[in-house]
Amino acid sequence: MIVCVLIPRFQLTVAVGERAELLSKPVALAPAAGPGPSRSGRGVGRSGLQARTGGVQRAPRPQGVGEVSLAAEAFGVHSGMRIGEALARCPRLTLIPPDPAGVADLWERLLVRLELIGAAVEPERPGLVCLDAQGLLRLHGGIEGVLTAARRALQVPARFGVAPSRFAAVAAATKARVRRPAIVSGSRAQARAYLAPLPVSLLRARPALAELPEALERLGVKTLGELAEIPIAALADRFGNEGLLAHELASGGDGVLRPRPAAEFLRESLELPEAASGTQLEHGLGLLIDRLLARRERRGRTVRSVVLSAVLVEHGGTWREQVVFREALADPVRMRLALAPRLALMPAPAEMLRFAVERFGPPASDQRALLEDPAVARAARLREAIRQARAAAGPDAALRVLAVDPSSRFPERRAVLAPFEG
Amino acid sequence: MSVTGPRRLSIPRRVAVEAGDDGTPATVDGREVDAVRESWLVEDRWWTDRPLRRRYWEVVTTCGRDEVVFHDLQSGRWWRQR
Repeated sequence: MIVCVLIPRFQLTVAVGERAELLSKPVALAPAAGPGPSRSGRGVGRSGLQARTGGVQRAPRPQGVGEVSLAAEAFGVHSGMRIGEALARCPRLTLIPPDPAGVADLWERLLVRLELIGAAVEPERPGLVCLDAQGLLRLHGGIEGVLTAARRALQVPARFGVAPSRFAAVAAATKARVRRPAIVSGSRAQARAYLAPLPVSLLRARPALAELPEALERLGVKTLGELAEIPIAALADRFGNEGLLAHELASGGDGVLRPRPAAEFLRESLELPEAASGTQLEHGLGLLIDRLLARRERRGRTVRSVVLSAVLVEHGGTWREQVVFREALADPVRMRLALAPRLALMPAPAEMLRFAVERFGPPASDQRALLEDPAVARAARLREAIRQARAAAGPDAALRVLAVDPSSRFPERRAVLAPFEG
Repeated sequence: MSVTGPRRLSIPRRVAVEAGDDGTPATVDGREVDAVRESWLVEDRWWTDRPLRRRYWEVVTTCGRDEVVFHDLQSGRWWRQR
């Protein structure tokens, strides 16, 4: 039994803040602030120690609008649309600066609240999270008890959908109301029956299937029920793996949940008396690093991944940058060298600077030998690089090709991808 | 941290192919075939209940893509494989 918790327009609501009256007008989130392709091409000058401690570079962000209000949707504006097209459709559209740091903070708090009722959560995106209620039913006295506990824990209006599969639960949550959860009990057959009258556009919730609904609608397939009736071989012939996945979802099936591992979150913040930039910010950063390293909760551990964020002046929203160190650090000087260039990416002066640890490394007990064997040092560096890549991009970030039957006449039997054990 | 187990490479993916009367691919995923570079037959496990019989085609489409597709002679379906 999967429970989906949906907070519609979560990112837009956080960005609007206290100006809630804006939500009744055509508004949309502006594209995320940060370096565009030209700035990232120039790069940040790093050398020596900075280059060794620096983090992973990211790809440029797409320049489409973010979440949009109901009034903007009425003009045909939707999330991901290019700004030019959105303004052409709705000339009165107001663009709100995004608040990535505020969204991340509030979302993390909400997830922790859900975890406090015993739920293992799998967040899909800010505002949408799924959890498996099976282990909570006896704890909270049935599914209604689980929903009540989740609602009390969240303390914000949310929609709840319950169904045997994750996709059906998300679909149910989109149909639910704040005080009236949509519950689809039973098995896969009941989930399929529930999904049958719903439009194929719901498949857009899966990034891999974002472009499929348009093609299906052109072919006259309007509902998930019609999609589930199509022979699976015909869908595979026309759409490949995407067709197979769409058929599985429309038939009431889905993959298993992969809950996030429990994490610690340690944060320090500093209010800046005046709008600060440049050297002032670097001093502030140094102070935050020292404070955070002095926290007792660190228990002597090194730091692997951190988040640097800031509240920008003049209601300019917030700025957020995740940095994964090349090797886990506990040295404030090396941290400062790795993080200071990131401050230059901030789009405006800041009135508050925050520094948080997302992931810890092992305790700081590494001691370098006076005379190191080059091969051993090289292997150690490789292991460290693999840990950094996995911290930044997940467990599949470092794999190796393992020849199983290289002379097989069938290509799929020749090799497998296996975890890289450095 | 959990690390995923081994995953096979070069797994066949379903593909839409229109073939002529002699079985030669005419279009692959809607792209017209310009030339057939090679074709070969692979048969294996013929001694089991689940034999494998595939007719492979390496073709070049009009947009310049080099594709390797095969016709599963047991099920009649087309697959792409690199």
